[in-house]
Amino acid sequence: MATRRTKKWLHVKERKSKFATRQATRSEILHVEEEGYIVPDAVDDEDERIVDLTQADIKSSVDIFSAQKRFDLQLPLYGPYHIDYTRNGRHLLLGGRKGHVAAFDWQTKKLHCELNVMEQINDVKWLHIETMYAVAQRQWTYIYDNQGVEVHCLKALDRSLHLEFLPYHFLLAATNEAGYLSYIDVSIGKKVAAYNTKIANGNGKCGTSVMCQNPSNAMIGLGHAGGVVTFWSPNQREPVVKMLAHKSTIRSVAVERTGTYMATSGVDAKLKIWDLRTYKCLNEYRTASTGASTLTFSQKNLLAASYRDIVEIYKDLYDEESSSTELPRYLVHQCPNGSSIASIAFCPYEDVLGVGHERGFVSLLVPGAGEPNFDALEANPYQTKKQRKHAEVKQLLDKIQPDMITLDNSVLSEIDRKAFVRKQEDKQKEFNFVKPKELIAKAEKKKGKIGKRLARKSQIHDAKLKEFLQQKQLKRQKTKK
Amino acid sequence: YDPDLHPFEVAREYTRAMNAVKMERIFARPFICGLDGHRDSVQCITKHSTQLSLLLSGSCDGEIKIWNVAQRVCQGTIPAHNGFVRGICVMPDGEAFYSVGNDKLIKRWTMNNYETPAMTIVGKHVFTSIDHHYKNPQYATSGETVSLWDEQRAQPLQTFKWGADSHARVKFNPIETTVLASCAADRSIILYDTRQSVPLRKITLRMNSSTLAWNPLEAFVFTTANEDYNLYSFDIRYLQRPFNIHKDHVAAVTDVDYSPTGKEFVSGSYDKTIRIFPSDKGHSRDIYHTKRMQHITCVQWTADNKYVISGSDEMCLRLWKAKASEKLGVTRNREAETLEYNDALKEKFSHFPKIKRIARQRHVPKHVYHAKREHKTIQDSQKRHEANARANSKPGSVPFVSERSKLVLEEEE
Repeated sequence: MATRRTKKWLHVKERKSKFATRQATRSEILHVEEEGYIVPDAVDDEDERIVDLTQADIKSSVDIFSAQKRFDLQLPLYGPYHIDYTRNGRHLLLGGRKGHVAAFDWQTKKLHCELNVMEQINDVKWLHIETMYAVAQRQWTYIYDNQGVEVHCLKALDRSLHLEFLPYHFLLAATNEAGYLSYIDVSIGKKVAAYNTKIANGNGKCGTSVMCQNPSNAMIGLGHAGGVVTFWSPNQREPVVKMLAHKSTIRSVAVERTGTYMATSGVDAKLKIWDLRTYKCLNEYRTASTGASTLTFSQKNLLAASYRDIVEIYKDLYDEESSSTELPRYLVHQCPNGSSIASIAFCPYEDVLGVGHERGFVSLLVPGAGEPNFDALEANPYQTKKQRKHAEVKQLLDKIQPDMITLDNSVLSEIDRKAFVRKQEDKQKEFNFVKPKELIAKAEKKKGKIGKRLARKSQIHDAKLKEFLQQKQLKRQKTKK
Repeated sequence: YDPDLHPFEVAREYTRAMNAVKMERIFARPFICGLDGHRDSVQCITKHSTQLSLLLSGSCDGEIKIWNVAQRVCQGTIPAHNGFVRGICVMPDGEAFYSVGNDKLIKRWTMNNYETPAMTIVGKHVFTSIDHHYKNPQYATSGETVSLWDEQRAQPLQTFKWGADSHARVKFNPIETTVLASCAADRSIILYDTRQSVPLRKITLRMNSSTLAWNPLEAFVFTTANEDYNLYSFDIRYLQRPFNIHKDHVAAVTDVDYSPTGKEFVSGSYDKTIRIFPSDKGHSRDIYHTKRMQHITCVQWTADNKYVISGSDEMCLRLWKAKASEKLGVTRNREAETLEYNDALKEKFSHFPKIKRIARQRHVPKHVYHAKREHKTIQDSQKRHEANARANSKPGSVPFVSERSKLVLEEEE
């Protein structure tokens, strides 16, 4: 019921929020960094393709500070390496299958700790901060301090195959050999949920190690043997979403940062790009041999895929202009000695791709991969110790409870119509003298001739606007080279 | 600002709002100190017009005490009257103050001489209250009649008469300085103008009003404390119905005073509690009570908007914070920003059920809690009877009548 007072109040609030958005856009002047890609001199020139550029070429043509970020670590003894970068992209964690764990600041090459846990390691993961990390060992999962001291042994996460950390909820999710997906709250150390994912693997075991996180809504995506991709939340026993993605086993899943696109690869040598809002397949590409073994998205929507010993990086995957089934390759790299790749990860806020393979670790330069402007209140690569401590406290205070994990993030900000109606009905039953309250009616779809005409007009307007923006972008790209 | 870099906006803000509301309840410790010294129940309090830390209180044994609230010390005691001290008012320039009592005397005192009054006037009847004009050297007293006096004269300039009943309180309007209002014992409220010889308007309510207070920032608004446990805010341009009813007390409301911002007021009542109301809402935002505090006779809101003072039956004046979880003392810039952010969050998420529940939660004395429940049962049954009558009679014959329109019985000019 909008009285004159509430209307006035709403009007004032709207004006204030408009002012706030204007001020926020003005603050973009603080974004001093810009993104940039390698762009060809002449379009469609067969002699010079970007794909043919090697890392050595790129290294020799950039400044020394960026050239330092291209390095190789030869660690041939301890098996294929799983890698993880911290949220601010400053520290790197390496875990070799044969038990070697090393945590270091990869930009200054300062080693935090290096130890051998004397057990098989299935996965390593940084927790919210660079002073703690989790190692999924053969029997249980352990949490270590950055000095290498074992801090906790999580017996609830036994025989884990893959770990994922949800930073805003402080949840460590792990898939089990027996097919269980468990969530542990690392701030209080309590097990939140454990669900049997039940979809059996081909070889009789239920466990799947294909796991990814949707960073925008904190859902965990698992890939199963029958080509099924499921998304889980800790509030429900059944998967929230279940999609049949491929006709065979899924080899890898990756979800992009804003949660709109998902890339899956299967044993049937296909790479599919899905729209996660409509769950429709946008693009389907043919890849080499048995499909990409790992997939990962960068902050600027480059997709990296690894095939045995080659890692390929794709750009403009969901550009609707290119309707071909050829993968839009941007850069390619082959690991030395044909060592197979175990894990790849883009470094946040840096144009770097880290690749962990059988004989060590390789850090590749990928221009245009990272987000150029970081928000220091979210993740600060140049944190001092004091800032880190303050940030940790703030993060803990802002920890979101696991029961707020939903598929659609905007649910919290919408009017709860069902609850309102239910409340009115309850009141009516109890006291039948309640004066009926009105709720703001939902904007109804306009039917009829005029409504349809207006809808069509707005569609045309949107399409024209899109075209205009695309042309602008093309012009900008042309002027950059 | 890139929203992609900041996922889970609403969830994180909601968590912060929860934390803010919980911390507000944790730090809600409104009681500061009690000012001891009176030997009989406190009858009236007035704040000094120019000095922030001074407070004057009159008690039932005829004593007036002048307190320095900042140092929590009594500066002086004046044995003023031979009966109750009914009212004190300070002159706008702060040089002197007047007091009236049950011994039919009006006494004028200066701030430095506590022995003898500067002037004494003998009246014809017992005076119940006194209030000074905000600009001119005039003051008004209430008793059997409302009289307007000049500072130099021993006889009143004017006497307003309407009906034969005595008046409990008279108050001058701080902005429209020629207007004054009084509460009469025949359940009415009368408006006067000093430029006219006849009272302006009179409205009759259902029950007697004990006092009233003018809003210091809105010239046409006054709030009355009524004996039917409610407070009513009237607009003098439209006296037929109050534009707000403030309900929350469970016994007669004895005193009301506005905050200097005009956005809130404090009311003390016979049910041993003080409530702070926002001036545009119908329910209180806070309740203050102590086991030791008995029936409250008078309340004041200090002029720096930070404290509330209550005087009660058990001879004690109490100093409370106006905002219960406010930090006293210097707040740094960052601290102040965080507090403002928290306030904004609490307002934004105020309708979420969990947050609303925590924000509303107050410990309320048992007698108040039980009385409220009883009142609610009574109200519900009345509503149910009305709804049944409505359901079983011709549609439209039992209309929905708002409570505000039912209040004023008649208005006369």
